[in-house]
Amino acid sequence: MNLSTATSHLRSEDINVWFGERHVLADVNLDFPSNQVTALIGPSGCGKSTFLRTLNRMHELIPSAGLAGSVLLDGQDIYGDGVNPVDVRIKIGMVFQKPNPFPTMSIKENILSGLKLSGRKFVNGDDIVETSLRRASIWNEVKDRLGEPAISLSGGQQQRLCIARSLAMEPEVLLMDEPCSALDPGSTRRIEETIEELSEAMTIVIVTHNMQQAQRVSHQTAFFLAEDGNPGTVVEFGSTDDVFNRPVDARTNDYVNGHFG
Amino acid sequence: MAQVTQALPRPKQAPWQRRNLKNIVLITLASVLPSLLAIAITVAFSIDGAIGLVAVFLPIQILATVAVGQYLYKKRGRQDAVLMIFTIFFSTLVVVLLTSVLVSVFQRGAAMMRLSFISQNATYISSTTSLDYGGLGHAMLGSLAIVGFTTLVTVPLGVGVAIYLTESRSGSRGIVRSLIQSMSGLPSVVSGMFIYSALIVTGVSHQIGLTGSLALIPLMLPTVARVCEEALRLVPGDLRSAALGLGAPSYRMFLQVVLPAARTGIITAVLLGVARVIGETAPLLLTVNAAANTNLNIFDGPIETLPTFLFRNLSYGTDNSIQRAWGAALVVLFLVLIIFTLARTVGGDKKVAKPKKRK
Repeated sequence: MNLSTATSHLRSEDINVWFGERHVLADVNLDFPSNQVTALIGPSGCGKSTFLRTLNRMHELIPSAGLAGSVLLDGQDIYGDGVNPVDVRIKIGMVFQKPNPFPTMSIKENILSGLKLSGRKFVNGDDIVETSLRRASIWNEVKDRLGEPAISLSGGQQQRLCIARSLAMEPEVLLMDEPCSALDPGSTRRIEETIEELSEAMTIVIVTHNMQQAQRVSHQTAFFLAEDGNPGTVVEFGSTDDVFNRPVDARTNDYVNGHFG
Repeated sequence: MAQVTQALPRPKQAPWQRRNLKNIVLITLASVLPSLLAIAITVAFSIDGAIGLVAVFLPIQILATVAVGQYLYKKRGRQDAVLMIFTIFFSTLVVVLLTSVLVSVFQRGAAMMRLSFISQNATYISSTTSLDYGGLGHAMLGSLAIVGFTTLVTVPLGVGVAIYLTESRSGSRGIVRSLIQSMSGLPSVVSGMFIYSALIVTGVSHQIGLTGSLALIPLMLPTVARVCEEALRLVPGDLRSAALGLGAPSYRMFLQVVLPAARTGIITAVLLGVARVIGETAPLLLTVNAAANTNLNIFDGPIETLPTFLFRNLSYGTDNSIQRAWGAALVVLFLVLIIFTLARTVGGDKKVAKPKKRK
């Protein structure tokens, strides 16, 4: 826990989560410094995806959801009074586990959908489409078929389209919930390259089940664990190198070396 | 260098399609013999045809198919045979019943089809007037006006209810859903009686088109609301998450993502609603005054509709009026067909360009 908090861009303070009366996540304190990639790892059901969803207020869309604690974006609590969750989600974008392009829209319309859905005015639509698709490194594959339905793309292309769709909103933070879990190794590699390029411009938090992926793409890693029906907690948090090669906690050591989970 | 695999022509039969002569003969016999035997028995004992179909043919056919199934495939063939015979028998029965209704309407109604029948109204026409004079043009227009107004009121209401049921988190959704479901079991005559006693007996209104429309609304609303709710529920939660995750307010998420994705389903909901009420007779008999002349104003005066035209002509009981009733039945069928085709063409129209053939 030797990371400086002075430059921290996004920061969770004592996040606790409930579903109904069930306490699923306890006292999560994490810092996400600017332009750093943070990987959240841990076995299924430990609450890492739930935690990710608390970071842009998607969590509260689940009817039974409960929450305590705060999430600070540049020092401002996104759960503060008078903060519109819609504005939070514009600044903090999200890529989901399953590619979810809008099936009734073309590739181009999908990219611009975020701007239209959030009611923003824009003039240079074509430029936004090209820039976003280039940043998600899918431009060359789709530049001749921008008018075709987004669902005509392959799964890997759809996921990169969804990343491009988020990028069109120019988010400050990008949350990725196992973005490669449904993809083949080739598409996974391309998305990892994209993540690396994007980290120069934004803060990225990625949930992954793939240890190699966490080591390849992230600067720092948080290991989540929920034991025997207890709420999930962060067992270890530090630089990716430390967590994987010099873990402090024995449970982290077991997990990253594949002994359980 | 690895050897290049050559493309081969497709074999005539896949492993599961292999047939030998013995199988073919057995299956043919099992399909033909029972019907012949059943016909013979029915004729010999002069059993009524419908009873013979169920009590003689069905058991014999099942026994024969089960025997062949048992011989060819053992237990699996036996079970397969029973299920197969039941499925084919009852689905054929339904198709035959529906087709015979359609055929009789076409046969008896086609004789009535002439331009005057479609274009003229029934002024100065009695139940014995020659069929070459008078028609149901006024009833078609009246039906369209009344059902049109009903649709105009019901669709926003029904879609609104569906939105409330699928998109909100309100605690009283369960009650609303139960109410809508019980409304769909409402006998149509009760709806007519309600409007009759509430508006007409009390002198609030005469029997005009509007009272007819009001009586049809409670009948159409449950259909529209429930089918629409199903359509909205089928839109994947992923898409809602995607839109909200991009920073969309809920109303934009609904209007720009959920509604387009559910468009075909919503059009179907409207169609089923129209189909539900276009043939309704009982509520209109109570709430609408018959007219022989053309009246498009649902807010004033008597107005005729297709189902009430049909009902009245049937009740006159003369040969000519019954012939007119059959004609009206055929026109209702055609009208429904036209509405369905129209809405299907409009609804099936995709906004996004189809993928081009790629080289």
